[in-house]
Amino acid sequence: MVGLSVGEKNFIKHGIAQDLRNDGRKRLTYRPIYVETGVIPQANGSARVKLGATDVIASVKAELGRPSVSHPDQGKVSIYVECSPTAEPSFEGRGGEELSAELSTALELCLLGGKSGAGAGIDPSSLSIKEGKVCWDLYVDCLVISSDGNLLDALGAAIKAALSNTGIPRVQVREAASSDEQADVDVSDEEFLQFDTNGVPVIVTLTKAGRHYIVDATSEEESLMSSAVSISVNRQGIICGLTKRGGAGLDPSVILDMISVAKHVSEQLINKLDSEIEAAERANEEEP
Amino acid sequence: MEYVNPEGLRLDGRRPMEMRQLRAEIGVVSRADGSAAFEMGNTKVIAAVYGPREVQNRSQQMNDQALVRCEYSMANFSTGDRRRKTKGDRRSTEISLVIRQTMEACICQHLMPRSQIDIYVQVLQADGGTRSACINAATLALADAGIPMRDLVTSCSAGYLNSTPLLDLNYLEDSAGGADVTVGILPKMDKVTLLQMDAKLPMDIFENVMQLAVEGCKAVESYIREFAILLKKKMGPGYATAILSKNGGSKS
Repeated sequence: MVGLSVGEKNFIKHGIAQDLRNDGRKRLTYRPIYVETGVIPQANGSARVKLGATDVIASVKAELGRPSVSHPDQGKVSIYVECSPTAEPSFEGRGGEELSAELSTALELCLLGGKSGAGAGIDPSSLSIKEGKVCWDLYVDCLVISSDGNLLDALGAAIKAALSNTGIPRVQVREAASSDEQADVDVSDEEFLQFDTNGVPVIVTLTKAGRHYIVDATSEEESLMSSAVSISVNRQGIICGLTKRGGAGLDPSVILDMISVAKHVSEQLINKLDSEIEAAERANEEEP
Repeated sequence: MEYVNPEGLRLDGRRPMEMRQLRAEIGVVSRADGSAAFEMGNTKVIAAVYGPREVQNRSQQMNDQALVRCEYSMANFSTGDRRRKTKGDRRSTEISLVIRQTMEACICQHLMPRSQIDIYVQVLQADGGTRSACINAATLALADAGIPMRDLVTSCSAGYLNSTPLLDLNYLEDSAGGADVTVGILPKMDKVTLLQMDAKLPMDIFENVMQLAVEGCKAVESYIREFAILLKKKMGPGYATAILSKNGGSKS
């Protein structure tokens, strides 16, 4: 982790109190965000997102699977995060597993909605091919290459970008002879379907350092964090998921206040992210 | 299966002695002391170097030289079919060891006693020759970190299929079952630091295949040197001296 002296910590804290952070940002300003799509050709969709010195890759792979018994008309989505030791030497060996698990769970909470699939960013029933027989299983794999704070927001943005880059092959179901047999499917390698990613929320993490809270904290600022709340908000301004991290307690009224701030910040973030994704897709098309 | 067609072209359209396209980039992980990305065709790896720094585990400290450590990991999405693998399986432990030993041969460890250098390599895309790509990336990352080195290490593989020696195998050729020779050399000192082969080859053919791999290593070396000269122009005279100091041999 970052080793900061008492003086340095005070400097950062006072900067935050005066609404002028170390890198010249205000409390509620994001670092410049940079998106590149299609970075992993083997995957159905992929994206790399840089947020300052934080650098993450998300890839989406679709595989044919069997729907679960409880929800036969829905596909499955799972999110895995891996922290590469290139980002931080302490992630070596099994060192990154705890953080990986924390981030994976937080992302699933924020993006996948409840167990029934209600409120999910990607509608799980759109992944169904034949009820009770075949569906698409989406595996979202993320890799943290470089970490300078605010990993969750960056990962959320990368997943959103990767999903809008994703093409799922069109599938035709051949009628099976009897109903209990495995369904026979034709996977097209020419026709691809795109997801509607309009509903995929973005994640805004508000980090409380001292008496104020900030968005998009760097790792120096995160080392002062007492607690953080990650809120996922979609385009309609609806909250899709929420997690609180860090030990210190928060006043309930502060949390409500944070939510309304996150809602406000998310509007700008969604617009910025959408235009970046669009620019990245256009750059891909122009390339031969 | 036919790996070289009658016109003498391979599955991906290369000639037998042709390398895949190389691409290097430096400073890809801004928080590391040194970092590089290296691509050989569709194989894409990044390497990050932390150090020289204080030894984390005191019992490993050496009073006469630096401790070099290496970890190799593959991203879940790096291979064609997605699989969830545990960290530290036998294959990655073995590759970590190979990379560490190869890099130890070129780092001037005696200049940095009681310190530690960590090399982390991460495979983003695997299409054959990850070992070689990792070593090439690690060399660049060490140079970017300004760590004193005797020479560059460069690596390349070669194989033998359809009675033809092939340079720089891709995944399809690698898994064809023929011999796969991976070589790492110190080009200026003209020494081999890494040599691995699976399967079997007659003696005289092995000589040819290994010679081809060495030629590949030299091609990688000249690419890296050209890249370093370009960088030096951009970054100023103090940069990448580790790569360029042996260039021409007159400065030492």
